[in-house]
Amino acid sequence: MDIQISYVSINRRGQEQRDQRRIEGPLINVGRGSQCQLHLPDPRIALQHAHITVSESGAVMESDPGRMVINGRASDSTRLAVGDRIELGPYLLEVEAPPQGVALALVVSLVVPLSSFGGGRRFELRAPRLSKRRLSYVAFFGALLLCLLIPLSQDLLGYPAKPPVAVKGKGPPVDMQEHVVRNVSAKLLPTLNPGPVSRAHQNFGDDCRACHEQPFIQVQDRACIACHKSIKEHVPVADLTGLKGHAFRDTRCAECHRDHKGIQMAPRSQEQCADCHRDVTAVAAKAKSGKVTDFADGHPEFRLTLLDANKPDAAPNRVRMTTPPSKEMVERSNLKFDHKLHMDPAGVRDPNGRMDPAGMRDAQGRPTVLKCSTCHQIAEGGRLIAPISMEKNCQSCHSLAFEPKITSRQVVHGDEAQIATMLREFYARLVLGDVPPDVSPPLDLPRMRPGAELAFPERLQAMQIADQKANMVLRELFDTRKVCVTCHEVSKTTGSVGWRVAPVRIAKIWMPQALFSHAKHKSEDCTKCHDITKSTSSSTIAMPSVKVCQECHTGASFIVGKVTSDCGMCHKFHAGRDYWHAELQAQMLPGGKK
Amino acid sequence: MNRHHHSVLEFKQGRYFKVAVFLCILAILSYGWYEPLTKYLNFPFVYPKPYGGTWLGYTLGTIAALLIVWLMFLGIRKRSYSSSIGSVQGWTSAHVYLGTSLIVFASLHCAFEFGWNIHTLAYALMMIVIGSGFFGVFVYLRYPEHMTANLAGETLETMLLKVADLERKCKKLALDLPDEVNTLLLTAIDDSAKRSALGGSLRRQLKGVDQKHPMRIARDRLLKMGSNFTVNQVMMQEQLIAEMTRIITLTDRVRLDLRFRALMQVWLYFHVPLSFALLASLIAHIISVFYFW
Repeated sequence: MDIQISYVSINRRGQEQRDQRRIEGPLINVGRGSQCQLHLPDPRIALQHAHITVSESGAVMESDPGRMVINGRASDSTRLAVGDRIELGPYLLEVEAPPQGVALALVVSLVVPLSSFGGGRRFELRAPRLSKRRLSYVAFFGALLLCLLIPLSQDLLGYPAKPPVAVKGKGPPVDMQEHVVRNVSAKLLPTLNPGPVSRAHQNFGDDCRACHEQPFIQVQDRACIACHKSIKEHVPVADLTGLKGHAFRDTRCAECHRDHKGIQMAPRSQEQCADCHRDVTAVAAKAKSGKVTDFADGHPEFRLTLLDANKPDAAPNRVRMTTPPSKEMVERSNLKFDHKLHMDPAGVRDPNGRMDPAGMRDAQGRPTVLKCSTCHQIAEGGRLIAPISMEKNCQSCHSLAFEPKITSRQVVHGDEAQIATMLREFYARLVLGDVPPDVSPPLDLPRMRPGAELAFPERLQAMQIADQKANMVLRELFDTRKVCVTCHEVSKTTGSVGWRVAPVRIAKIWMPQALFSHAKHKSEDCTKCHDITKSTSSSTIAMPSVKVCQECHTGASFIVGKVTSDCGMCHKFHAGRDYWHAELQAQMLPGGKK
Repeated sequence: MNRHHHSVLEFKQGRYFKVAVFLCILAILSYGWYEPLTKYLNFPFVYPKPYGGTWLGYTLGTIAALLIVWLMFLGIRKRSYSSSIGSVQGWTSAHVYLGTSLIVFASLHCAFEFGWNIHTLAYALMMIVIGSGFFGVFVYLRYPEHMTANLAGETLETMLLKVADLERKCKKLALDLPDEVNTLLLTAIDDSAKRSALGGSLRRQLKGVDQKHPMRIARDRLLKMGSNFTVNQVMMQEQLIAEMTRIITLTDRVRLDLRFRALMQVWLYFHVPLSFALLASLIAHIISVFYFW
């Protein structure tokens, strides 16, 4: 099953040359590869372009689609017959009548030589005009210029922080370059801002130098104190001891108060408080504030700030609450008051209660029952309870009338000497016969005839009568009728009045360090926190224990059904007595005074 | 399946993938420890919110910045043929994985705090650079296979030789056809060379197949001709159409090949210059933060 192949080529003289070969079948590979029996060395031919299978019944040529054109028609399989013209790329294969002993004879000629390919004209791989390197340079220096050099150009070129002030009528004395640099850098400088400035700092937020005074140096406290002149310290600096205490002393304002973090800049981190207050004596050896970690289970009993009415100049005494109350935990107000009596659920005697002989019911028959709010009102601002006053809260029942028949006149409340003077003048007027229309004078008081002309001795006598009457009434008020002593401690003195009421000092605020608001606790019953209904003495202190607060409030960790409460809910950090950085502040304040 | 070729992603059984995942988990755990989420459960208002200036923020930022500088060194390492500090394949593998882990480091460093400033610009540039890098990895993994399939054992040169041969053949076939056909073909060949050159600008290379290829238009017009052709001419016309179609198919394949080649190059025109812009904005970020400390 041999095949005869004749390679036709043209020699230099233009004559046709035949090179004959015999190949053994039955399978003959046709292709560019040198292993192919029918070798067609041209790049336009595939490595294995086609193959011919020779058998008894004839020769079949097959290839992948699109590789062969048989007699002018594309085909991928054909039975070869004498006279067939097969185009394989640039080659032409013609089937000749085979000689004896040969199954197939092919004439192979290169019809389209390689050199005749016309052009690189239609193929170009143009490199982009910009090289990556050049683009990189542009990107690097462009970004550096826009992001850093231009925003900082004012500093880099050494222009002063504030632009020169314009001279009136002449315009600003600046050269054009400085003007341009200032304007352009001011436009781009905000792009360096890492986040919004806090609300309080927004009005000067575009002036970086207001706080960032020196490049590459952290914001110093001096910059803060310049505005926050009256900020208070946390604890006296001298009290801070130990390494941790000194580290705390040297803490910059900005370490806690980070700006550019949104509209707020007050830290509210319980961990920061607990860091020292977990064992506060390690930070300040003399501290008495107790160990605190969390309100839920790590808060000591409250401390009360107590006054002593008899020692008006003494500093307030801070006493930690105990259950039952310790000997120290009493109020020394010099006032007598019985809450139990006043809050009797059956009612109290009411001077206006006409219907009831006991005076306990009003015209409609309703008993007069006092509630807490009858006397105690939330003060303006909502934080405290307004102070009790005789005139507003007591006098409607506790009359200061001094003459049984004269109900429209009462002595003033407060000053013994004033009471004495008022009584003396009142009775002198009556004795002298000048009776006001609303007064029916007491029968035991001798009076001059109205309009009588009095000689000096008669006048003196009249005044003596008036004074005697006034002194008698004073004694009644202070002593026998027990008007003043109902509430006050009264003692006899040698002065012109003869009686002295002990000074009263009621605590206006029991826990001055706590940010408690009565207004925000309006929904609760007063007695839920202030257990006073059974008290018969004003020395009782009915401030709530920490456990009462803990009934509703939990610590910083969220618990369903309780109010989450961290340190900052009730406490202020800058709540010390002295100023923060006292020396620095003293230097900066006018006159060097705090 | 045992493959001879391992991609950079599979370098040493994904050694750098494991390294990157480990580093990311480490970073996420430290962030979770330093800024516990429970903080947000207790209070809706958390101050200060996590930010880059805490010591963890500085640590993550430093790692991210050093990583960026090192990633950019790949450009130098791949050119220093004499260097023996690891293989370029290893470097590339680490470049891909550690570059991806940069997303985690930088996001945790800034604590997801963004604004219209140069700091977020640096972050955005970084993300674009990483994104273009992902595209690069994609084309390097995907396109060589497509290119091999498209070329089907041929090269650009052999395909172009074939086109030239076919054009010659077409010219010969057209000789026996009416003048209008002959002119149509000659103009198409001429226009193809003039107006639809293969290659050309980057934009044209990226476009790929040219739907307005003059040969395509000419063939479509030729298809509609032939109402007054003789039987012989119709046969010739059919042959001519077949050859023109082969030309079109071949040029389409050439263009597709050029498109693949261009795509494998073009992402670097974003990746490299933008990484330099990133480097500059990173410098600006670091300097400006400490300038206004």
